[in-house]
Amino acid sequence: MKKLTKLFLALSFALSITTSAFAVTVASWGGAYTESQKLGYGDPTASKLGIEINWVDYSGGLSEIKAQKEAGAITWDIIDVFAFDTINGCDEGIFVEFDFDKDFPAAPDGTPASKDFFAPMPSKCAVGNILYSWNYAYNKNNVKGTPKTIKDFFNTKKFPGKRAIYKSALTNLEIALAADGIKPGKGGEKIYKALETEKGVQRAMDKIKALCTDPQGGCVFWSAGAQPPELLMSGEVVMATGWNGRFFNAIVGEGAPLVQVWDGQGLDYEYFALVKGGPNEADAKKALAMMTNTEMLAGSAKYIAYAPYRISSLDVIKKNEPWYKDGKTEMMPQMPTAPNNTKNYFLVDPFFWADNGTELGEKWEAMKAGL
Amino acid sequence: MSSETNKILTTDGIPLEESLKKAERKNKIKAFLLVCPLLLFLIITYVFPIGEMFTRSIDDKMITNMLPNTFKSMESWDGQDMPEESVFENFYIDFKKLVENKEHGKLAQRLNKEKNGFNTILKKLFRQIQRNKIDENGSFKDQITSLHKRFNDIEYWRAIKRTAPPYTMAKYLKGMDLFIDENGGIAQVEEDRRIHRILWLRTLEIAFFVTVFCFLMGYPIAHLLATLPMKYSNLLMICVLLPFWTSLLVRTASWMILLQQQGIVNDFFVMIGLVSDDNRPEMMYNKVGTYVAMTQILLPFMVLPLYSVMKTISPSLMRAGKSLGGTPFVAFWKVYFPLTIPGIGAGCLLVFILAIGYYITPALVGGASGTLISNQIAYHMKTTLDWSFASAMGLMLLTGVLVVYWIYNKLVGVDNIKLG
Repeated sequence: MKKLTKLFLALSFALSITTSAFAVTVASWGGAYTESQKLGYGDPTASKLGIEINWVDYSGGLSEIKAQKEAGAITWDIIDVFAFDTINGCDEGIFVEFDFDKDFPAAPDGTPASKDFFAPMPSKCAVGNILYSWNYAYNKNNVKGTPKTIKDFFNTKKFPGKRAIYKSALTNLEIALAADGIKPGKGGEKIYKALETEKGVQRAMDKIKALCTDPQGGCVFWSAGAQPPELLMSGEVVMATGWNGRFFNAIVGEGAPLVQVWDGQGLDYEYFALVKGGPNEADAKKALAMMTNTEMLAGSAKYIAYAPYRISSLDVIKKNEPWYKDGKTEMMPQMPTAPNNTKNYFLVDPFFWADNGTELGEKWEAMKAGL
Repeated sequence: MSSETNKILTTDGIPLEESLKKAERKNKIKAFLLVCPLLLFLIITYVFPIGEMFTRSIDDKMITNMLPNTFKSMESWDGQDMPEESVFENFYIDFKKLVENKEHGKLAQRLNKEKNGFNTILKKLFRQIQRNKIDENGSFKDQITSLHKRFNDIEYWRAIKRTAPPYTMAKYLKGMDLFIDENGGIAQVEEDRRIHRILWLRTLEIAFFVTVFCFLMGYPIAHLLATLPMKYSNLLMICVLLPFWTSLLVRTASWMILLQQQGIVNDFFVMIGLVSDDNRPEMMYNKVGTYVAMTQILLPFMVLPLYSVMKTISPSLMRAGKSLGGTPFVAFWKVYFPLTIPGIGAGCLLVFILAIGYYITPALVGGASGTLISNQIAYHMKTTLDWSFASAMGLMLLTGVLVVYWIYNKLVGVDNIKLG
């Protein structure tokens, strides 16, 4: 009996090694997001190419892949990363550089891949996956009147009560300036121009500080994406910034009385990066090209309210509404890139944050310590 | 008296002393072989990584090798006015070589850690070089400074000069909001960026108070556990251990639900009329929340060592103390309490060391004061990839723990620690 178990163990071990050698491993954020990736384009791609795609969870950042690389034992092929991670990873030589029009298929109407992306890639090592929004929402049962603009988020006279904001400086400084009267301009370039100066940073910090120290207002800092809807539903805060997918889930999935406000939203991106020298680089490259084509990318929007990075994917959604998996919810109005939602927005600038993240982070913490 | 006359021989003629030594040596080798795996384990998982962390925190050779010419021409630059043409020329030569080897990104990364803003301007320079826009016969100073106003800012050139030495303590200084200025002296960073000292103090403060609260709450519990009859103490033990087996995040989230302003505890207070509805106390998203959640999470680490020590104290000792004329308090203070000190030491050290490295719970429940030094370490590990700074702060944290250990040793004595 003992011998049998041993044999079984050895066999299963050998089997696990062989299967993982032929599978493509993708590291992503887990939860509903990875679920949407797996169902939307992971599984269809795997069955079409006849390969196996494994999804593993990680908590973001490049430390793990850097450690894998330094140890000479890379186990991931593709990573789902933020923009500044692709820049850093590209600079450090962790990721493969792409030739977009050659490595990725064109849109159905023949538009080359590089023209089909909603925004240009931050680095040569990134291929766009989704766009999500840093917008804000309120609980209509707890707010008298209807907040409509980003200025209302800071208007404690008209809408008294606590606000929940993200714990770090990222996007907070931008919305503070947008609410303080700076017109974002094309893609938010005027906001970032202002933030390049000491004065602009001070102005943004003062705006946040005023909100947080206002006896009519006050701040709760959230760190996990699940917190904003929760804080709104429990009545702990009256308004909260957050990720639109989470608000959508609370509204459609749980019937929460929340309303999203898109004015002054920050559009942010998620990318795939291909690991240089990953265990299965060739298959991974093929899989990546397929997962990010027009049809496949549209698939993920069936399961989550994030916009596909390819413009042509929106046409797929439009033609097949209601696109959401429940068969009755229209997805186009929920897309952060929909025309109605992008009247006043900024694109979160990865270069700005790659450049100034540390310094602004320190100033932000110093400001928080003085609250 | 010569030793030879005293030598006792074994039956086969070898001196007893020698034969004994031989036998003992064998045992010693066996014993060593037995602990060998553990020793190896400790070296591989503990000594080696810490050594690696230390070298990483002071090693700055990479950039020294990347900009050899620049640093050489900077030797004569006093850092008071903008550097001369030769510095710019050598910087261009070094940078061009890096571009050819595709290593310019690494340089940008490294310099951006020294002073924020380098990423963009070096990318600009990179694009100019790629397009062959730099005239190698013209003035490099004029061409480079006209690319971006930051190239005209002396602070950026001072930052480059600061990175010249192959080994540096700069990361440790940065961890205390200090830096080496252009005269080689130690100066404070700008006032609105002095954050690390605040974080260190906050971390120590929270770890200290959590330890105190754990002790105040854990001591009576452990005493009850040790003295109650078996059937009750088992139940109590389960009550102590059950939260210990529950996920950290679940426990943290439950405290959020309980303690927030619209939470269950506050609802109850309002219901019984203790506070008015629009005057609910804030018990979450501040230090109160951090103390409550962390104390509950770390309590078992205080209770268990205390319990194991108290279990060995005979109840008759207290009775003896009382029968010799002591009041119950005197008997407790003079007899029982001193006997529990080894457990207190173990519990306090455990809780303090765990608390000092905590960061997930404070980040979730601590609100504006939820950032601790470990958050900063994680940030530099994961986001900025400044591993040398993270290593330096990690080692500073370790030193802090060792100092506490040393103080404890002076006050109580390490031999007195008893974990069970």
